Amino acid sequence: MPASAHMGTGLPGGIASGFRHPFTGWDHLLAMVSVGIWGAFLGRPLIYALPVIFPLMMVAGAALGMFAVPIPSPELGVAASVLVLGLCIALAVRAPTWVACTIVAAFAVFHGYAHGVELPSAADPVGYSVGFVVATGTLHVCGIGIGLLNERPHGVIVTRSMGAVVAAAGVLFMFQAVGA
Amino acid sequence: MTVVVAAVAAAWVRLPVGWTDAVFLGCWSSTALNSARVHLVRSSGRKATVLLCVNTGIWAGAVISVAGRKADLLVALPCMVTLLPASWAVRRGGSIAVKVVSSWLLAVAILAATLQFLPVTPGYLPDHMD
Repeated sequence: MPASAHMGTGLPGGIASGFRHPFTGWDHLLAMVSVGIWGAFLGRPLIYALPVIFPLMMVAGAALGMFAVPIPSPELGVAASVLVLGLCIALAVRAPTWVACTIVAAFAVFHGYAHGVELPSAADPVGYSVGFVVATGTLHVCGIGIGLLNERPHGVIVTRSMGAVVAAAGVLFMFQAVGA
Repeated sequence: MTVVVAAVAAAWVRLPVGWTDAVFLGCWSSTALNSARVHLVRSSGRKATVLLCVNTGIWAGAVISVAGRKADLLVALPCMVTLLPASWAVRRGGSIAVKVVSSWLLAVAILAATLQFLPVTPGYLPDHMD
């Protein structure tokens, strides 16, 4: 079974369609929000560096997808991103800056690839890209907002619990990707 | 002002229709360059900024010349008022927000520029679902 944000071909184009797409699949949505939560947890400079790196590397992945450059199991990579990012939040992993950037960049390539192969051509691909990138950024900002709960009493428990739920969803996506 | 003058001047130059793809590629590349510069340069010199503005205006005007109408300038140029909230955010210590948004713009510009090289979008071919 494919990761759920990537269903079907010949997507309708336009900003609204691109904006809606990341919200239609739990795998992409959870990964985006997790990037924001983890960034907020790690603090400066990663609180803003991760949401900057992700869309840029996602574009690199999308370019690979559009040119049909083969990469190993993108669906597995997307599922792994949900699992790993969830674990990083749940275990409160304080990764060094370069490690966090590398992890997020690598997973962004898989997310970009999965959507790059589906980018519509005739129906306003630029509008679709704008909508998609803005939606991705919005999910990052939502994640940062959730991550700021860490500054409140018991907030860390809430965010780490959320991380555990995301990681559990990641395990499910992994099983689905392996079984596909 | 420099962008406006350059864009208006370029929009009045008649360009061959065959240049359409190249002009769009140049316009998106120019957008990517401007967005990247927000990240790469802390304070740009006046000469470099003016050159960048001229470059941006020329490409924006060229796009209107090959694929639009002169009246489109009236729609395109008001987009420059985004300068106001951006400079307000920078003055208030919100330069991070400007950098994040410019990274989104950079991502879109690179993607759109890449599309110029793509004869057929794989979205209409069988994908990993099929």
